[in-house]
Amino acid sequence: MDEIKVSVNNLTKSFGDLLVLDDVSFEVKNGEFLCIVGPTGCGKTTFLNSLTSLYDIDSGSITIKGERIDPRKHDIAYIFQEYSTMSWLTVQENIEYGLKIKRYPKAEIKKRAEQTIEMVGLANYRKYYPRQLSASMLQRVVIARAFATEPELLLMDEPYGQLDLQLKYYLEDELINLWKKTRTTVIFITHNIEEAVYLSDRILVLTNKPTKIKESIDNHLPRPRKVSDSDFIHLRNRVTDLIKWW
Amino acid sequence: MNMKKRITEGIKNLCLSLVGFAVILLLWAFIVQYTDAGLLIPSPLGVAQRLIYVITHPIGKSYTLPMHLVISLRRVMTGYCLSIVAGVLLGVSMGRLEMIQAIFRPIFEIIRPIPGVAWIPMAIVWFGIGETAKVFIIFMGGFVNIVVNTFAGAQRVDEDLMNCARMLGANERQVFFRIVIPFCVPYIFSGLQVGLSTCWMAVLAAEMVAAKEGVGWIITAGQDIADMTQIFVGIIAIAVTGLALAAILRLAEQILCRWRVRGK
Amino acid sequence: MNEITSNKLVIECKDVSKAFFNREGDHPVVDNLSFSVYENEFVVLFGPGQCGKTTILNLITGLETVTTGRVTVNGEIVDGPSPKRGLVYQTTNLFMWYNVMKNVEFGPSVQGVPKKERRKRAQHYIDLVGLTGFEKTYPVKLSGGMQQRVGIARAYCNEPEIICMDEPFGHLDAQTRYLMEKEIERISGAEKRTVIFVTNNAEEAIYLADRIILLRNCPTSVKKEYCIDLPRPRDYTSAEFLALREEITNAMDKVI
Repeated sequence: MDEIKVSVNNLTKSFGDLLVLDDVSFEVKNGEFLCIVGPTGCGKTTFLNSLTSLYDIDSGSITIKGERIDPRKHDIAYIFQEYSTMSWLTVQENIEYGLKIKRYPKAEIKKRAEQTIEMVGLANYRKYYPRQLSASMLQRVVIARAFATEPELLLMDEPYGQLDLQLKYYLEDELINLWKKTRTTVIFITHNIEEAVYLSDRILVLTNKPTKIKESIDNHLPRPRKVSDSDFIHLRNRVTDLIKWW
Repeated sequence: MNMKKRITEGIKNLCLSLVGFAVILLLWAFIVQYTDAGLLIPSPLGVAQRLIYVITHPIGKSYTLPMHLVISLRRVMTGYCLSIVAGVLLGVSMGRLEMIQAIFRPIFEIIRPIPGVAWIPMAIVWFGIGETAKVFIIFMGGFVNIVVNTFAGAQRVDEDLMNCARMLGANERQVFFRIVIPFCVPYIFSGLQVGLSTCWMAVLAAEMVAAKEGVGWIITAGQDIADMTQIFVGIIAIAVTGLALAAILRLAEQILCRWRVRGK
Repeated sequence: MNEITSNKLVIECKDVSKAFFNREGDHPVVDNLSFSVYENEFVVLFGPGQCGKTTILNLITGLETVTTGRVTVNGEIVDGPSPKRGLVYQTTNLFMWYNVMKNVEFGPSVQGVPKKERRKRAQHYIDLVGLTGFEKTYPVKLSGGMQQRVGIARAYCNEPEIICMDEPFGHLDAQTRYLMEKEIERISGAEKRTVIFVTNNAEEAIYLADRIILLRNCPTSVKKEYCIDLPRPRDYTSAEFLALREEITNAMDKVI
């Protein structure tokens, strides 16, 4: 299925006099894992917030399957950097939460939650509360909660930025696993070039403010990927050269 | 940020607040003209006229409104300054020294909920009916708030920050004056803001103790001679002065706590 | 083992153990740890998250005391914090009410160094970390990376015998991190000091270290030591760098 899922056209956004996003246009295919990277301080977060309609955009449009994006109509899941599990709900309830909000029928909720819990390997912990879980388990609950609703679009903003490295690598693999099984369309924003090369089908490189798209690079490296492979390094260096300011 | 946009926003807000005031004035005038309750209260026009009149003519025996204000301000400032000194001292020592906290906190927690007016009989018994009693009541108005806020700050001083200073070679005295106190300053200012308004409001309670002048006295005297207009004048004088004092303090805070402001 | 510039022993941890006690019993964090650091070496303590790296650093700086064993710096047993041992924190711990200059000169200031001299010294370090022009700025107006530079300048300005850095770039984004790693390299090159640097980022460790001490999971001790003799400045994507990275990452205890 190579149809276009998300279409961003001429997205422009200013804050007062400061032009942050400057006529940004691109498309995301159904089931694609798109990584967006840019130099520190480029309008990545502004871009994401415009996507989620948290900010009003000045001009341009964002459509999902041809329809203007609307969080109430479209199934969009978000995972931000400062996300958290709901401490008053068990693992199972946390995962069911998104489904409940979308008013799925009870039987459906149970079925999907069950599938997702199995996928992340937390079946034995379903009745546990967040405070009883380790950091890796907590992050798995968050991913599961997002994937349970089988969203049309999953937006992730630097979710693994501050984590311990072992945990980060583990979660990246979990994420790819889940993505392969559900074929969700993912837009993943990160500062970390290695992470982008590891995860993506395609990398969108942004410029500094006023932000434009510098280049779109297809990533055909076979999975599972190895950070020390010469092809991996080659791609990583290529992206780094486009962004490098340090 | 766009200057033009900011100015238009500002003008818009100003107009809206003026509209708010205008509505209240109209409502007031309406109530006075057309309702029974309105027979008891003076009209806005009447109050305005009296207000202007007493700026140059004495209320009571000898003092004009500005002079009454100055007298009250003097009392309040004395009480306020004393409450700052005592409050900060107690707050910081309770926050940093276990023993002081153990001794004084229970006493303080009992004093804390006592309303300002309740101090009047106590003040009269201890200090008679002179200036001291009035200053005391005002003092109690601010003291409690300043202690509470200062204590909160003093307790919260980051242990890591103090260790950092010690590792750089600071002795305990230096840690106290260069880390603990500056850390507490924003908290102290919160206490000062609240304390200022409660001290100022306490002026009414204070001047109920056999006062012969002051803005609080204006109100009680007005009550004695059933002059509603005078009472209103007193209330407005207190309100406007309170507003001005708070604004001045906020300005002081902006200057002294420059280091907290993000900016662009 | 390659020869380091000087063989003078500066830091020695000998059979160090540290346990924390609470109602539920004792929790050993460090268990029989021994290693040495020589003059002007840049040593990186590397290990999985939460393994006790920060505790080791606290034992060396004197913020914690050992349960058994001994930590000495330049022959002196460590039994409390001292300006001879400097620390750069992950959370910067800057004094927000002082501007950059006053933060950096804090150490000399509290130790009674006269104003002219300490200003000059502080200016030298402010220039060294690349913050010239920001002397009168308050920390709240600085970015994360710049705040960390102030922290580094402050620690260096006190001219301690050793400098410890506790994951100073942990809270920075990946790109600012690369920048800061480059800066630390430059600063260490310009001002030779004995440095212990803690991180859980393999790339960072290999980029910066003269020697890497790989730690075990909690309760921690030394698992292995690696001498890194790649020429500086190092290339994150060179074959040798990547080989080392793979070796060390695989050797690390798994926490998940």
